Amino acid sequence: MVAVAQHPNIEMRTLAEVVKVSGFIGNFNVTIKQKAKYVDWDLCTGCGTCWEKCPSKKIKDEYDLGIGLRTAIHKVFPQAVPGKPYIDAANCTKLTKDKCGICEKVCPTEAIRFNDKDELITEEVGAIIMATGYDLFKWEENHGEYGYGKYPDVVSSLYFERLVSAGGPTGGKIVRPSDGKEPKSVAFIKCVGSRDDTKGKSYCSRACCMYTAKHAYQVKDKIPDGEAYVFYMDVRTAGKNYEEFYQRSLNAGARYIRGRVSKIYPRGDRLVLKSEDTLMGMPMEVEVDMVVLATAMVPSEGAAELAKTIGFSTDKDGFFQEAHPKLQPVETFSAGVYLAGACQGPKDIPDTVAQASAAAVKVCGLFSKTELATEPMIVEIETDKCSGCGFCVPICPYNALSLVDLSFRGHHGTVTREIAEVNPSLCQGCGACLPACRTLALSLKGYSNEQLVAEVDALCL
Amino acid sequence: MKKRVGVFVCDCGTNIASVVDTEKVAEYASTLPGVVYSTTYKYMCSDPGQELVRKSIQEHQLEQLVIASCSPRMHEKTFRRAAEAGGLNGYMFEMVNIREQNSWVHPDREEATRKAQDLVRMGVSKVLRNKPLQVATVPISKKAMVIGGGIAGMQAALDIAEAGHQVILVEREATIGGKMTQLDKTFPTMDCAA
Repeated sequence: MVAVAQHPNIEMRTLAEVVKVSGFIGNFNVTIKQKAKYVDWDLCTGCGTCWEKCPSKKIKDEYDLGIGLRTAIHKVFPQAVPGKPYIDAANCTKLTKDKCGICEKVCPTEAIRFNDKDELITEEVGAIIMATGYDLFKWEENHGEYGYGKYPDVVSSLYFERLVSAGGPTGGKIVRPSDGKEPKSVAFIKCVGSRDDTKGKSYCSRACCMYTAKHAYQVKDKIPDGEAYVFYMDVRTAGKNYEEFYQRSLNAGARYIRGRVSKIYPRGDRLVLKSEDTLMGMPMEVEVDMVVLATAMVPSEGAAELAKTIGFSTDKDGFFQEAHPKLQPVETFSAGVYLAGACQGPKDIPDTVAQASAAAVKVCGLFSKTELATEPMIVEIETDKCSGCGFCVPICPYNALSLVDLSFRGHHGTVTREIAEVNPSLCQGCGACLPACRTLALSLKGYSNEQLVAEVDALCL
Repeated sequence: MKKRVGVFVCDCGTNIASVVDTEKVAEYASTLPGVVYSTTYKYMCSDPGQELVRKSIQEHQLEQLVIASCSPRMHEKTFRRAAEAGGLNGYMFEMVNIREQNSWVHPDREEATRKAQDLVRMGVSKVLRNKPLQVATVPISKKAMVIGGGIAGMQAALDIAEAGHQVILVEREATIGGKMTQLDKTFPTMDCAA
């Protein structure tokens, strides 16, 4: 992260979203919405006086999935990059009720800007890499048998990550959300939302088998007399050193049970899991202190809209569609737009890093040329035939058509009329404009009306 | 422009030839107006396949090419280069898809062969009306944008930046790092995520 921030060739824009993309490979025009930070990051030193003094201290910290609390002006986490705070406008009393303003008073560099506004910035770039990542499947909305989220001690695997993380709100101590006590037994359920056509997604999320093996190992490691139960359908460890890693969890004493948990219900302050051990062919019950669900990876929120804005497609599950699953795994159908990471499909860290480097190479390959050959199969306009009706102009998805004045000599001096004109570097030769032309002034090079009619005639006559 | 069409029908191993009678299609093609040469080959996209195209252009003074094989998505550029290697303008060539739109979707050999003949006839009819087209060039803006600042975005941005190009990294949250920063140790090496 720090390497990115320090690199002289990288310009970071956080709290920013892409809202519009026009142009084409080699020449994209991107509009970015820079959201208001309410802090001038050029002046801010990240000293921390503001968030220490901020009186709005009881906001649930989304970053820690609500385990800890944060202030209205805050850094996302202590090692955030850039290491500067911003104001969460919805929870700031100065911005919502015009009361407070303490941060402004205590800031030693006078960096607070309550009048900061969202602004639109445009950038010209030659290539775009999509790396929008993933979100987690919302099990609370779909899995009634696991309590729809009403049992506090049934948590997601990301929540468990925050618990075991040394930089997390508990400093790495595994505790139960309900009473803050250390659980003596933890059950893990895999494929929650994955490989489940009825309630979730048909695909395998690929990383869960491995991180669950890690979690089970961490339970055995951090809680000496603790038990870890893992309910699974299959254990998929296809990756270098993965099977060995799984064996390490088994050797540490993690208990793997092949079966789907059909119900979780409370007994006292503990939870009972009803399942079947399909290897034994017997129904079974386990009583545990805490349950961790390995939920499916789903496309990041807003990813489909972004794909639409930029102009490439998504697959049936909403992940970004690669141009070819084997031969063009990082390209999209939109030239100059490449894919990296889980936005293309669920994947773990090693695969993500590999794909990101592959996408970077594609961009470097493109940038190794000074000029790019354009496809000559584009629209041409016969000016004599064009009536200047302009019907074609709004149809063009690439904004390649416009109306221009054409002057010519008539019987009574110079006459000026409007005709359509095509920008040859914007036209992609899609042909969408052709049916709109009533005078047949437009034609596509390589697909002229004469050529198409000849094909039809060859078939029908 | 002289009308001297060459038709090349690809077997694609057994991908096409197991359903479409390619020999029969090539034989039929030779009877079409304007066609002076037609043949089949096992893998038209392979080096010897392209060499066959190049040589035939010169031997038979071909002016137009029709290649009946897979989808243009797959090999249109390959054959355009082969046409150019033989001395033709790359756009004096038509690709006829008898794999994705024929052999892969039709089980009946006779009907599929007839459809392939129809498609080749259309291609020949079109290519006779093709005009040479010239490729233009546009300058490239050598700056990349990476959308998303998680593991994938950071890695891609770093690699491009290391190669000496400018990168703009756009992230929706206030920090880069993405989900990775929320993780503890990661498999299989158990090193820290951040």
